Amino acid sequence: MSRARDRTGTWIGWAFFSDLSNALALTLGYMFSRTVTMQYPDKEKWLPYSRYRGHHFLKRDEEGEIKCVACELCARICPCDCIEVVPYEDEKGNRRPAKFEIDTARCLFCGLCEDACPADAIALGQQYEFSSFSSRDLVIGRDDLLAKPGKAATGGGVVAARLDTKKDVLVEASEPQGYNWWRNIRRT
Amino acid sequence: MELIVALGLIVFKVALLIAMLLLLPLPLTWLERKIAGHMQQRMGPMRVGWHGLLQPVADGIKLLTKEDHIPAEADRFLFKLAPILALAPPFVVFVAIPFGETVSVLGNEISLYVSNMNVALLFVFAVIGLEVYGVIFGGWAANSKYAVLGSLRTCAQMISYEIPMGFAVIGVVMLAQSMSLLDIVRAQADVWNIVYQPVGFFVFFVAGLAEAQRIPFDLAEAEGDLGAGFHTEYSGIRFAFFMISEYVIMLLVSVLSVILFFGGWNGVLIPLPPLLWFALKVAFFVYLFMWFRFTFPRYRYDQLMAIGWKVLLPLSMANIIITGIVFS
Repeated sequence: MSRARDRTGTWIGWAFFSDLSNALALTLGYMFSRTVTMQYPDKEKWLPYSRYRGHHFLKRDEEGEIKCVACELCARICPCDCIEVVPYEDEKGNRRPAKFEIDTARCLFCGLCEDACPADAIALGQQYEFSSFSSRDLVIGRDDLLAKPGKAATGGGVVAARLDTKKDVLVEASEPQGYNWWRNIRRT
Repeated sequence: MELIVALGLIVFKVALLIAMLLLLPLPLTWLERKIAGHMQQRMGPMRVGWHGLLQPVADGIKLLTKEDHIPAEADRFLFKLAPILALAPPFVVFVAIPFGETVSVLGNEISLYVSNMNVALLFVFAVIGLEVYGVIFGGWAANSKYAVLGSLRTCAQMISYEIPMGFAVIGVVMLAQSMSLLDIVRAQADVWNIVYQPVGFFVFFVAGLAEAQRIPFDLAEAEGDLGAGFHTEYSGIRFAFFMISEYVIMLLVSVLSVILFFGGWNGVLIPLPPLLWFALKVAFFVYLFMWFRFTFPRYRYDQLMAIGWKVLLPLSMANIIITGIVFS
């Protein structure tokens, strides 16, 4: 009985193209649902989480002096051999880096230098926009590394931004957290 | 003097028609990409102009300035001839298509059609059949396996779908007692043909999808298995010719559906200008084409043939017989 009804049901559905019309209704629903595109350089920008491994930066201690003791452990552990440290002795008799260069063109952003550092001096921060037309520009020295932005405090949000071709993607955020991008995802 | 004015009017109308048909594919490509984007939860073109409105212009400039490459092994004469053969018939067909009765400009009544043939429907089907030559020559001349396969598929598809398409409109001709498209629209002033001819419309529309080579019947240029089908080897302006021809045929099938089955410029309920009613209906069908494209998968080749010969042909014949019995 039920099987017979099923059979007539499918036959009627087949005659009136229920499968095709279901598909059309689905795509129409999607057509008027919210888009998930993040309009990255033009209008929006994603804020990285604090665990994000972006561009390296060097830290300073409370007295404003560089924390690095130039032990060269980061250079040793680096799998792509992209860190070069040359030590010297400053006027207080501390071992400090005279030269600290990272070739970000070769770096794979594994974060092992951060883990190996005994002085908690190097870490991978939140910056992810540092593309360049010349590979020489990607070799970053000590003073530049000190000036790089640190770890993100929060993250995961999307904030309003604007593309400045001369400078960078400029963030124009009234709300520092940004909105949660996952709210755009339609779940059915 | 009368003759010169009449001749000038016809030349003006033809020029207007050609300009309209050459320019319409621009917004249609933009619309297609926008609809595709939003159906896939994307945004489509956004960067050139407001919401990407100038994107088709940018694409046009790109196509015009691109290298017009002819393969070394190609038959050069046929290769150059094919895009023109593909482009011309869809434009010629529009000579016979009426867009409305008349409009009064500066006190003169001007008809909204270039010619009112008494065999317009026959003319339309005869000329649109010529379009297959451009596809055959293009595929053959390129001397590439994908192009030849694509054009062979197109030949078989066009020929087998033109038959049910021709049979499907016979019911309409029987109802209107005329093959003039103007008379067919006038006959639908009270009741649209879709009420009497639902099966005819179904057959006509499915065959029209195949004729315009749109998904689910776009086997001629199935990207997945044939590269780009018959226009694989074409680039630059010649490729643009094929694209324009494809969009004009899509427009043509929409216009024919409206004229033959949806009352042409006859409105219902809301009193709008007849030309606006016509444009709205055509726009709906164009949207339907794009909606179908981004909803359905492509049919297999044997399925395509089976639908054409085993489903659409018997249906259209049965439609003729039933129409003959009921309305005689």
